[in-house]
Amino acid sequence: MAANPMRPYVGRLAGVREVATGVKLFQIELTEPEGQASLAEYKPGQFAFLSVFGAGEAPFGLASARGPYLELGVSALGHVTNSLHALEVGDPVGVRGPLGNWFPMDQIKGHDVVIIGGGIGGLPLRPVIHTILDHRADYGHLTILWAARSPDLLIATDEFDEWRNAPDTEFHVTVDQGDENWSGNVGLITKLMEEVAPSTQNTITVTCGPPIMIHFAFLTQQKLGFTPEQMLTTLEARMHCGIGKCGRCNMGEKFICVDGPVFWQYEVKEFLEGFL
Amino acid sequence: MKFTTRDQLKAWLDGLAAEMDLVAPRGVDGHVFYRPVASGDEVLFDYERPELSAKAFVFPDTEVFLRVEQRGKDVTVEEVRTERKQVIFGVRPCDAHGLAVIDALFLNQEPADAQYQHHRERTVLVGLACPRMWEGCFCTSMGGAPDDATHLDVLLREVEGGYAVEAVSEKGKALVKGLKTKQKAGDPPAPQTNADAVPVVDTATWRTLFNDKLWQRHGERCLSCRICTYVCPTCRCFDVVDRVVDTQPGLTRIERIRVWDACTSTNYRRAAGGHNSRPTKPGRIRNRFYCKFCYYPEDFGPLGCVGCGRCVVSCPVDIDITEIMRDVAAKGGQE
Ligand SMILES: Cc1cc2nc3c(=O)[nH]c(=O)nc-3n(C[C@H](O)[C@H](O)[C@H](O)COP(=O)(O)OP(=O)(O)OC[C@H]3O[C@@H](n4cnc5c(N)ncnc54)[C@H](O)[C@@H]3O)c2cc1C
Ligand code: FES
Repeated sequence: MAANPMRPYVGRLAGVREVATGVKLFQIELTEPEGQASLAEYKPGQFAFLSVFGAGEAPFGLASARGPYLELGVSALGHVTNSLHALEVGDPVGVRGPLGNWFPMDQIKGHDVVIIGGGIGGLPLRPVIHTILDHRADYGHLTILWAARSPDLLIATDEFDEWRNAPDTEFHVTVDQGDENWSGNVGLITKLMEEVAPSTQNTITVTCGPPIMIHFAFLTQQKLGFTPEQMLTTLEARMHCGIGKCGRCNMGEKFICVDGPVFWQYEVKEFLEGFL
Repeated sequence: MKFTTRDQLKAWLDGLAAEMDLVAPRGVDGHVFYRPVASGDEVLFDYERPELSAKAFVFPDTEVFLRVEQRGKDVTVEEVRTERKQVIFGVRPCDAHGLAVIDALFLNQEPADAQYQHHRERTVLVGLACPRMWEGCFCTSMGGAPDDATHLDVLLREVEGGYAVEAVSEKGKALVKGLKTKQKAGDPPAPQTNADAVPVVDTATWRTLFNDKLWQRHGERCLSCRICTYVCPTCRCFDVVDRVVDTQPGLTRIERIRVWDACTSTNYRRAAGGHNSRPTKPGRIRNRFYCKFCYYPEDFGPLGCVGCGRCVVSCPVDIDITEIMRDVAAKGGQE
């Protein structure tokens, strides 16, 4: 019998650190050979279900394309995510995946890339950034636009210097509201986009964030001259299976878990039922 | 035709019940449900439409599908399976049709749903044709019939003094080997059908009506009670939850359970962080009907309705699927 796609592979927490207020990055080592094989390779944009046995499971973007461990960033918002935050290194977890489609990195190759990450939505874009930086010659100019509601909610701050100093890369960050230690940009990410005004020439954009941000980020990109064929995003929906069965994640006839989570804007705008 | 009597059927069912799980229509406080039975005597032969469909016996409303044991930091995960075969006797053709609709997604779309596949493979469907259509029934509009054998392993039809037996599938042929029958002249009578067909329009027409006012009109009286999805033989949404069943020092036993879910419930689309992309009742009612008549056929093949009529008679505020189908046909210019 084929492996049951609803059965999680057992793993253990190999490392954990707080990457923003209320957001932890978990490093996971799979202990079952089938699990190691299943998750040995995955593509930027794919996701996995993480289980805390006894609390349940929830989907999270695979947040890294580097290193020996699986990395997933989790914002503590409810039952499963709070239980995840309570775990300690060495504790057992379950993992199902990789699931969903991915960013078409082969198609992106040879293009300039604009990454637009809002809040925790930046996490699923981290493997895209890693892939570009680790294969720098394959891609054109990289612009990273990063945002959060406040400075303490900015994620991946420990990587900012690497991104700033990477070849042919520019990095801009803004917050909706600053604090006494903040001397950088203040304002919505759409304002930053207009100020940076990246060229549309041979460029592909990749956006992730809360639904309302994706909506306005699309509008601003359109204003800057980007076409629906140039804009990628990754959507989120409540999910209970990740394999197209449970029905939870449908937006019209699309199932975010198997038809997505990655979509071009020309696909999103054809959705019978909107994502907002 | 192959002919058997009710007594012979009961004797056969007694034998089956001794060897496997037997499910059949049974009277429960004046209601009729498919229920586990221990002998042929417990089985109802004269009944209309059981109040719930047969889906719960291959897709249980609540089912433990994993048992997890955590000893210290070590975890073992075991899939829950049973070796027993199952016969669902007296299943109505519309309910077998409903399972075929679920098959189109759970079995035919990769990856197969392992738990459902397990139950489906261990189950044989012995149908009993309806002599006529009941209140709310419209199976004939949905490609079925009161005596449709298509999705069954065995079909029984009532005839003078007994039943005509038709073994439809290989599984069915093997099962009825133990049933006493004899050859008899004549054919079973055709069932009575309702005259007024309900119009089924194509998905392209449905697509033109997504933003129509009719969803407001039908949807705003919805109580979000979810009975329509509960009685439906094709609704298959589910949720997955964990339950801790035992804790001792150094040992925890956990069950992972799947439970039926309903897209008509208030918080169905509410995501972490509070965003709800389907916050209104008309939006959720619309999703239910689009799932059945537009998304499901486009994505998986069959229509998501078999015309059993249960939602029509159970909705406390009389939201009537046939009325909606007629409205859509009229507005879409296909009536
Ligand atoms: C493809 C994908 C990728 C994702 N990637 C990430 C990621 O990288 N990092 C991350 O942190 N998150 C990610 N998420 C979101 C993550 O899955 C959710 O945060 C998680 O499922 C929340 O689970 P929980 O059990 O902690 O929350 P729950 O306890 O289930 O609920 C959390 C919140 O959901 C709402 N809610 C849910 N059910 C109900 C209900 N019945 N009634 C009322 N309100 C309800 C409430 O607002 C509640 O506060 C992703 C989701 C998807 C689909
Ligand atoms: S999460 Fe179950 S269908 Fe997409």
